Amino acid sequence: MDMIWKTAWLNVWRNKVRSLVVIVSVSIGIFGGVFAVAVMNGAIEQRVDAALNDEIAHIHVNDPAFRDNYDIKLLVPHPQQVLGTVRETPGVESLTSRILLTGMANTAAKSAGVQILGIDPPEEKEVLQLYKTTIPGTGDFFGEDSRHYLAYIGHELAKELNIVRFQIDQEVLDSLAAKGVPGEVLKKLSPFSGQRFKSEKSFKKEVKAVLSIKEQHAFGAVIRGEAWTFRARSKMTLTFLDREGMQTGAVFRIAGIYDIKNSMYEMSQVLVKKEDLAELAGIGRNDYHQLIIRLDDLESTEEVSATLRAHLPGLEVLNWKELQPDLAMMTEMVQKFYAIFMVIILAALAFGIVNTMLMVVLERTKELGMLTAIGMNKKRVFNMIMLESVFLSLVGGVAGMIISQIVIGATARKGINFASYAEGLEAMGYPAHIYPAISTSFFITVTVLIILTGVLSSIYPALKALKLDPAEALRTE
Amino acid sequence: MKVLEIKNVHKIYNSSEVKVHAVNGISLDFEKGEFAAIVGPSGSGKTTLLNMIGGLDSPTEGEILVDQTNLARLKSSKLIDFRMRNIGFVFQSYNLIPVLTAKENVEFIMSLQKWNKKDRDKRTFELLKAVGLEDRIESRPSKLSGGQQQRVAVARALASKPKFVLADEPTANLDSKSTETLLEIMELLNKEEGITFIFSTHDARVVKKARRVITVEDGKVISDERKN
Repeated sequence: MDMIWKTAWLNVWRNKVRSLVVIVSVSIGIFGGVFAVAVMNGAIEQRVDAALNDEIAHIHVNDPAFRDNYDIKLLVPHPQQVLGTVRETPGVESLTSRILLTGMANTAAKSAGVQILGIDPPEEKEVLQLYKTTIPGTGDFFGEDSRHYLAYIGHELAKELNIVRFQIDQEVLDSLAAKGVPGEVLKKLSPFSGQRFKSEKSFKKEVKAVLSIKEQHAFGAVIRGEAWTFRARSKMTLTFLDREGMQTGAVFRIAGIYDIKNSMYEMSQVLVKKEDLAELAGIGRNDYHQLIIRLDDLESTEEVSATLRAHLPGLEVLNWKELQPDLAMMTEMVQKFYAIFMVIILAALAFGIVNTMLMVVLERTKELGMLTAIGMNKKRVFNMIMLESVFLSLVGGVAGMIISQIVIGATARKGINFASYAEGLEAMGYPAHIYPAISTSFFITVTVLIILTGVLSSIYPALKALKLDPAEALRTE
Repeated sequence: MKVLEIKNVHKIYNSSEVKVHAVNGISLDFEKGEFAAIVGPSGSGKTTLLNMIGGLDSPTEGEILVDQTNLARLKSSKLIDFRMRNIGFVFQSYNLIPVLTAKENVEFIMSLQKWNKKDRDKRTFELLKAVGLEDRIESRPSKLSGGQQQRVAVARALASKPKFVLADEPTANLDSKSTETLLEIMELLNKEEGITFIFSTHDARVVKKARRVITVEDGKVISDERKN
């Protein structure tokens, strides 16, 4: 058998140009497919990570009817007992309690409907990492600032309420010059000096109108960064209905702006200190609407959820897959999608391999006749052609995967900037800067598929070879 | 001892227009160690006869027995295996595997027969030495002359110690010097190994070397002369 393997391998290189054409096409196809999957996978992984680490953690516990209308009265009964039960459940790493109300956020400029989360900042930091996304210089909500009536809001909401603004003045132009923005660009921006823009949208529109596309790509981000301003003592009013159904509220000072590249979340979620919200809403200091739980092992989600459901029969226990089924769907179904995607690419490549192998059989009619004459049986002839096809596919496949690994390795560090699509992506909660990622199991799946492609591509040509009559084949010129 | 018996063999080709009686009742026996040439004009049926002897074609009528085994009774896979173990082939256009070296071409059949490496290497080297190519064992066919390639082909044909070797016009593409060398080697191997050689040829030099000359015409044996 090893002579067959050796002959098949050497036969691949008999016509180097033809083999290289097939190998290059396979490697480009594989690279294209694997890299596309890596980008999609990276985006999904980042979305899931962001959701679990910044937004929802792993498990929520609340009153069964609470999520229907967020009724302020639907507090978790026996709050301390429930806390104790959850803390003692194996697999639970940390937890925090929250008050949730729906209300309005108002500034002089605008208002917006929001969900107000009353949190305990130190506890919250143990469960979620939202605090790490604070824009520097916007406040210390999770830190040393112990004042009352502080609010932590999303970047999108800050822009909407004009708490964050864009303006160009001499200071901004000087900063841009110091950062290497060319004089001609600054000249185009200088007519805007002293101007405060109504919104980010109007800022972008006006700047786009004066700069070329090349200048926008080269300097857009740094101009936006320098023109961005935050009023340090900004305030907003939060209004909502208290436990008695009476409208209430207070003025909150903005003590931090978070930026998680999820427009929807940033627009709607306002965090304040639980004690402040409880007092305003007429809720007891130890009461809460929801427990947010972080597990020490994500893989134990189902197991711990089941345990909590058993221990807390009167409460609703939902894990992240149930809270955001789209995420669960993405992570589970997308693997199947990737395999189908690669099968389609390989099926297309297979036709090229079939064509090449048919040419091989045609060219070597006499040689195949000779091999049969001297004693190579049908099984061995079939194996030799099949191996040649598999080797052809594998060389191209391995080359494609090596190229993929290199490119994915490079882009995984720096990420790929889809800034042009940032608005749309962030509206869906996906990052505009994607770090491609691919699992080892995917590479193994692709390798298996490549071998399968080689095997399947060889069947028709091999059957053609087996039909050759050796006596007639030997007469071929 | 008879290595090959051909008993009243016929081969009829039935095309849509005409019936061709390529081999018309040939009966021949070959003993171990014979050095025989089958001669005849083009279309005389020599190649058809050789193909049937080699199991590459089957007779319409009659029997061909190789070492008492009736080739027609063997199923396709068994026939291929039987051919590998009992019949060697030397072709007009050498038909070496171009990607393999001289050594690998010779040991190819032994590898299919699962000889162990030690025995394979020993036999390969012996044969290549016998054909005068011990210093070219790592050369690929493209680096060998026509005569050298044909010598490798002879070595390959003898690798598995077959009952007989069929050589179809082995000297047709060779110059006179290479032909002379090749025939001397084949004659020597015939005497040393005791393997029967059966040639199909137009070449007078081959006929001169042969110790038995069978003349075929219109599918029949016209004469069968043994030289002393």
